Amino acid sequence: MVEAAALAAFLEASVRLGVPLALAALGETVTERSGVINIGLEGSFIAGALGGAVGALFFGSAATGVLAGSAAGLVVAAVFAAFVVGLNTDQIITGTAVTLGGLGFTGAVYQARFGATGTALTLPTLAPLPIPLLSDIPLVGRALFAQAPTAYLAYALAPALWYFLFRTEWGLELRAVGEEPAAAEAAGVRVRWTRATATIFGGALAGVAGAHLALAHAGTFSENMTAGRGFIAIAVVVLGRWNPLWVLAAALFFGAASAFQFFLQTLGLDLPYQLFLAFPYLLTLAALAGWVGRSRAPASLALPWPRGTPGA
Amino acid sequence: MRDALRRLGPAWAALLALFATIVVAGLMLVAGGYDAGLAGGALVAGAVGSREALLSVTMVRSVPLILTGLAVALAFRAGVWNIGAEGQLYAGAVAGAWVGLSGGDLPAWVLVPAVLGASAGAGMMWALVPTVMKLRLGVGEVITTLLMNFVGINLAAYAVHGPLQEARGVFPQTDPIAAGARLPALFPGTRLHVGFLIAVALAVALWALLRWTRAGFVLRSVGAAPGAARVAGRMDARRTVWVAFLTSGALAGLAGGVEVSGVTFALYEGLSPGWGYTAIAVALLAGLHPGVVVVTGILFGALEGGAGSMQRVAGIPATWVIAVEALVILSVLAVDQLRRRVVRGGVHG
Amino acid sequence: MTQSFPARLHGITKRFGSVEALRGADLEVHAGEVHGVLGENGAGKTTLLNVLAGMLPPDAGVVEIGGEERVLRSPRDAWHAGVGMVHQHFTLVPTLSVLENLALGLRSAAWRLRLPLADISARVDELSRRTGLGVPLDVNVEHLGVGDRQRVEILKALLREPRVLVLDEPTAVLAPSEVQNLFGLLRDLADGGRAVVLVAHKLDEILGVAHRVTVLRRGRTVLAAHRSEVDAPELIRAMVGSAETDPIAVGAWKDDGTPMPRVPGEVVATLARARVWDGRGSWALDDATLDVRRGEVVGVAGVEGNGQHELALVLSGRSVPTEGSATVPDGVGFIPQDRTLEGLVGDFDLTSNVALGLHRDARFASGPGGMLVRWSALRAQTRDLLARFDVKAAGPGVRAATLSGGNQQRLVVARELEMARDLLVAENPTRGLDVAAAAFVHGELQRLGQADQPPGVVLISTDLDEVLALSHRIFVMVRGRLTSVPDGARSREGVGALMLAANHA
Repeated sequence: MVEAAALAAFLEASVRLGVPLALAALGETVTERSGVINIGLEGSFIAGALGGAVGALFFGSAATGVLAGSAAGLVVAAVFAAFVVGLNTDQIITGTAVTLGGLGFTGAVYQARFGATGTALTLPTLAPLPIPLLSDIPLVGRALFAQAPTAYLAYALAPALWYFLFRTEWGLELRAVGEEPAAAEAAGVRVRWTRATATIFGGALAGVAGAHLALAHAGTFSENMTAGRGFIAIAVVVLGRWNPLWVLAAALFFGAASAFQFFLQTLGLDLPYQLFLAFPYLLTLAALAGWVGRSRAPASLALPWPRGTPGA
Repeated sequence: MRDALRRLGPAWAALLALFATIVVAGLMLVAGGYDAGLAGGALVAGAVGSREALLSVTMVRSVPLILTGLAVALAFRAGVWNIGAEGQLYAGAVAGAWVGLSGGDLPAWVLVPAVLGASAGAGMMWALVPTVMKLRLGVGEVITTLLMNFVGINLAAYAVHGPLQEARGVFPQTDPIAAGARLPALFPGTRLHVGFLIAVALAVALWALLRWTRAGFVLRSVGAAPGAARVAGRMDARRTVWVAFLTSGALAGLAGGVEVSGVTFALYEGLSPGWGYTAIAVALLAGLHPGVVVVTGILFGALEGGAGSMQRVAGIPATWVIAVEALVILSVLAVDQLRRRVVRGGVHG
Repeated sequence: MTQSFPARLHGITKRFGSVEALRGADLEVHAGEVHGVLGENGAGKTTLLNVLAGMLPPDAGVVEIGGEERVLRSPRDAWHAGVGMVHQHFTLVPTLSVLENLALGLRSAAWRLRLPLADISARVDELSRRTGLGVPLDVNVEHLGVGDRQRVEILKALLREPRVLVLDEPTAVLAPSEVQNLFGLLRDLADGGRAVVLVAHKLDEILGVAHRVTVLRRGRTVLAAHRSEVDAPELIRAMVGSAETDPIAVGAWKDDGTPMPRVPGEVVATLARARVWDGRGSWALDDATLDVRRGEVVGVAGVEGNGQHELALVLSGRSVPTEGSATVPDGVGFIPQDRTLEGLVGDFDLTSNVALGLHRDARFASGPGGMLVRWSALRAQTRDLLARFDVKAAGPGVRAATLSGGNQQRLVVARELEMARDLLVAENPTRGLDVAAAAFVHGELQRLGQADQPPGVVLISTDLDEVLALSHRIFVMVRGRLTSVPDGARSREGVGALMLAANHA
C-alpha cells in the first residue's frame, strides 16, 4: 500500500531529522542543568557541520568527520564558556554573538576553501547501520534501527545522561550548581569548573549533531544549513523539562514535525513549502505556550557567578 | 593599566573594543593567509572612499541598522531580551510591500505613511506573540523571539513565492511597489533616502524620552533593577515591558518597511542579511544609547558596505563581516567586564 | 612542646577593593571549648570565619589547623583539614531534598559515579539520634521552615566529622527556646572534644554559652580571654571602642519605659483580616488586623521568615492582600530590608535614586500631564538630602554602588522620610549597619514623633531589643499571624514566651 510505505518513510525521516536535534538538546540539557543557557549552540552546530564535512573529506571517512565535527563544536562552546564562565559576561548576548560568529566564520571558511559558487561537496556519508532483528520490527523497526550510528548514540545517551544527572554524585553536584551555586560552592563543588565542563560537553554534542546533519542527512555542507536547529534544540530542552528521557522524546516529536511536509507531499497534497518550513517553529512556540507553565527551569539558569563582590 | 581602565569613559571603552576587534580580526586574516592591510584598505575605500560609496552604500546600509539598533537598545534598556528584530523586520517588510503594492495611484502623502504605519504595526504584532507568552504564560522571550525570526523569514519567502509574487511569476519577488509608496531621495543622484532622516529623528526622540520623561525614567529603572523599581519606585514593571517590547517590535518592523519603501521598492527573499542580529552589535557598541546608535549604525553600515569591495580586492568572503560583528559584541562584553572588575559596580549610565 | 590548637589564625588581613575588612586579626581555638566571637556589624567576624572555612583566601596571615600551617583554597580544603561551617545565610539548595542536600559534596562513591543515598540516610539517622537533630529527609528544603533549615545546615556540617565546627550567627533565625536547645547541643559537642566557634552579636547569648571569647573591632582582635575573666561592660567597651559607646546600637539598653512621648492622632493605615497567599500552599500573612495612628510606633517582632516581608509590602502599598483589605495612605515611605535589591539601583547616580521615590511628586514634574522630569530640581533636592542626613558622597552625580553600606542606608532613609507624610514602614532598618549608622536610623525614627503632623510608624524587626526600645505597641509575628503583646509582657522573656506559645498553637 502506498500509505503504509509513505508512513514508514515518514517515520524514518522523523527519526533522521530528530536525531541531530536530540544530540544537541541532550548536550544542552546538561549545560542548562549547570545554570548556563548556551544560545551559541547554533554556532557549535554549524561548526560541527563544517568540521564534519572537512574531517570526512580530508581523512576520507565519515567517522573521522564525526570526530572533527565534535571537536569543532567543542571549540566554539569553549569560546562561549571562556566569556560567560571566565569573564562572567551576559549569557544571552554572548550566545547570540557566538552564533553569529559561528555562522559568519563557517560561511567565510567554506567560501574561501570551496568557492563561493556553491558547488556541493561530495562527502563520504554516514551510512545507515541496520541493527539485526530490531530493524525487522514492522513499521517502526526500520525507522528506529536502520539509522546512522549517531542515532544510536542519541538513544544511548538519553538514559546514560539521565543516570548521570539523577543517580550519581557528579549529577547531584551539577544540578546543585545550576540551582544554587552558592550552596554548591559552600559544599565544596567548583562552580565555574562545573559550568565550563558542562558547557563544553554540550558544544561537543552539538558538534556531533552538526556532523550528523552534514554527513548522514544532507551529504554536503552549505552555509547556514543548520537553519536555527540549535535554537529549536534549546526549545526542545524546555519541552523535555530538562530531563534527558523527555528531551529525546521531544526531539523525535520535532523531527516528525519537520518530516511532516514530505509525508503530505508523498500523499499528493501540495501545500506551500515555506509554510511547512515555518511549521516546526510554530509548533515549538505552541508547545512552549502549552507546557512551560508546568515545568521549572534550573533556578540559576543564565545568572552569572560569582554574583558580586563578597561583602565584609 | 588599572588606573587607565578606571578612568575609561564609555566612549573610550567602545573605541578600545573596536581596536581589540580590529587586532583579533586582522590576526585571524593573517593566520588564514590573507593580506590584512589590503583587506582593511579595500574595506575603508569601499565604504567611505567616495561620495557615492558614503551616501549610496554606507549611509543607505545604515538606515535599517539604526532602526533595528534602536529597537534592540530600547528593549535591552527595559530588560527585555528581544533577539527577534530580524523576524519583526521581515514582518514589517511584508506588510509594507503589501500596502505599497495595493496603493495604486494614491498620493505619496497618503501612501508613504500607510506603508510605514503598516510595517511598524506588523513588527508590533510580531513582537506581540513573545510579549504575551512572557507576561501571561511565563515563557522567556529569548527563545520565543528567536523562533519568531524563522517564522518571519519563512513568511516573507511564502509571500514572494505565493500571494505577492510578481505577475510574471518567474522570480521569488514582488512587482515594484507603487510610485507613491516610495520614499524620496535625500540628495538627487544618490540612493540615500528620507528614511535616514526618519531614523535619526527617532533616535533623537528616543534619547529625549529616556533622558527627560518620567516614562523613560521608569523604563530605565525597570530594566536596571526590577526589584528596586517595584519596591522603591512603585513602578509597574509589566506595563513597562508591554510598552517597551511592542515599541521595540514596531521600530524593527519600520526598518523593514523603510527598506522596501526607500531602497528595494519590492520584497525579496533574503531582504535582510541578518540586520536584526547585527542590530545587537550596533546597540551594544553604542552602550544602548539611542543617540550613539546613529553613529554605530553608520559604522556597521560602512563595515557591511565595504565588505563587497574587500571580497573583490582581497578575496575575503563578504560573510566574514558577520564574524567581525560577532567579534565586536564579544570585545564590548570583554572590555565591559574588565572595567567592572576595576570599577566596582557597573558602567551603563 | 608548644600547645597545638585545633585552629589558630594569626595576623589575617583581607581587603575587598578599597575596604579593609581584616587588618591583622588573630583567633585561637582550643579543643573542647565553645569559643564566642564578638564584634559589631562590620567588625570582620564573618570574614574571619570565612577565611577559616576556606571560603575566602586571606591576603596575608597564617592559618594553622591541628598544629599545621595550611593554605585553604576552598571549603573542601577546610573540611579535609577538619573545619566545618554553618553559614549565616543558608547554603542549601531549595529544590533538592534534605537528603540530597546532605549528600551534596560528600563524594563517598568511587569516581562519584553512584549516589549512595541509602548509606547516607543511615548515617544521618545515627547522627540525629546522637544529637537530637531530627529533620524529615525526603522533603525538599524549600518546604522547610527556618528552624528546620538550620538543623539541616548543622547536620550537613557534622556529617563531615569536623574537629572544628564554626557557626555564623546561628541564633538570628531561632526562637528563644530553640536557642537554648542549640546551645545545649554546642556544649555537648564541645564536651565530646570538638572545638566550636560561635559568632553572635548578642552579648548575653555569647556570655551564656562560651568558654572563651574573642572580640574584633575594625578588623583587629582587641580582646581574647576566658569567659570568667571578663564581664559585659568590658566586652562592650572592647567591641565599640571608648569613643563611640552607643548603648542602643549594641543592644544593651535597658527597657526603662516608653521610648518617646506618644501623641496618637488619627488612623492612617488599616488592615482588616488581610491574608496573603504564598503560592506554595499556605498563608504567608494570615488574618492580620491592625490600625496604625499618627505619632505612634507599632513594633512587629518575630523570627525571620514568618511573613514580615509580606506584611511590610502590604502596609507600604507595594502589594494587595489576597483576601481581606488594606487601607494605606498615599504618603507612605518604605525602608526595605534589602537596600541593594529593593531600595537602590546601584548603577544609577544618587539623583536618580532619589527620583526613584520622588518621581511622582508634582514638585519634580513639568510639561503636559507632568510627563517631564525636572532633573535640576531633583539634583537640588538630592544635594539638600545629602547634607541634611549627612550622607558621605562626593555629590549627587556619583553612582549609588560606590557608597558604603551605611551611607546607602542613610540615602534610603532620607528619601523615604521625605515620602512618609502619613506612614513609614521600616523593615529591619539597621541590619548590616555599623554602630554610627544604626544609631542614626534609630535617632531619625525617634525624631519623627516630634513633627507637627507626625506619620505613623511600623517597625518590623527581627532584633527584639530594637523593637522593645522604640515601639509604643508591640506585636509578635509567628507563621503569618500577628499577636498583640500586652504591656505586662514587654520584655525579652515575655515576648519570647508569646512566640513560643504562638508557635505551638
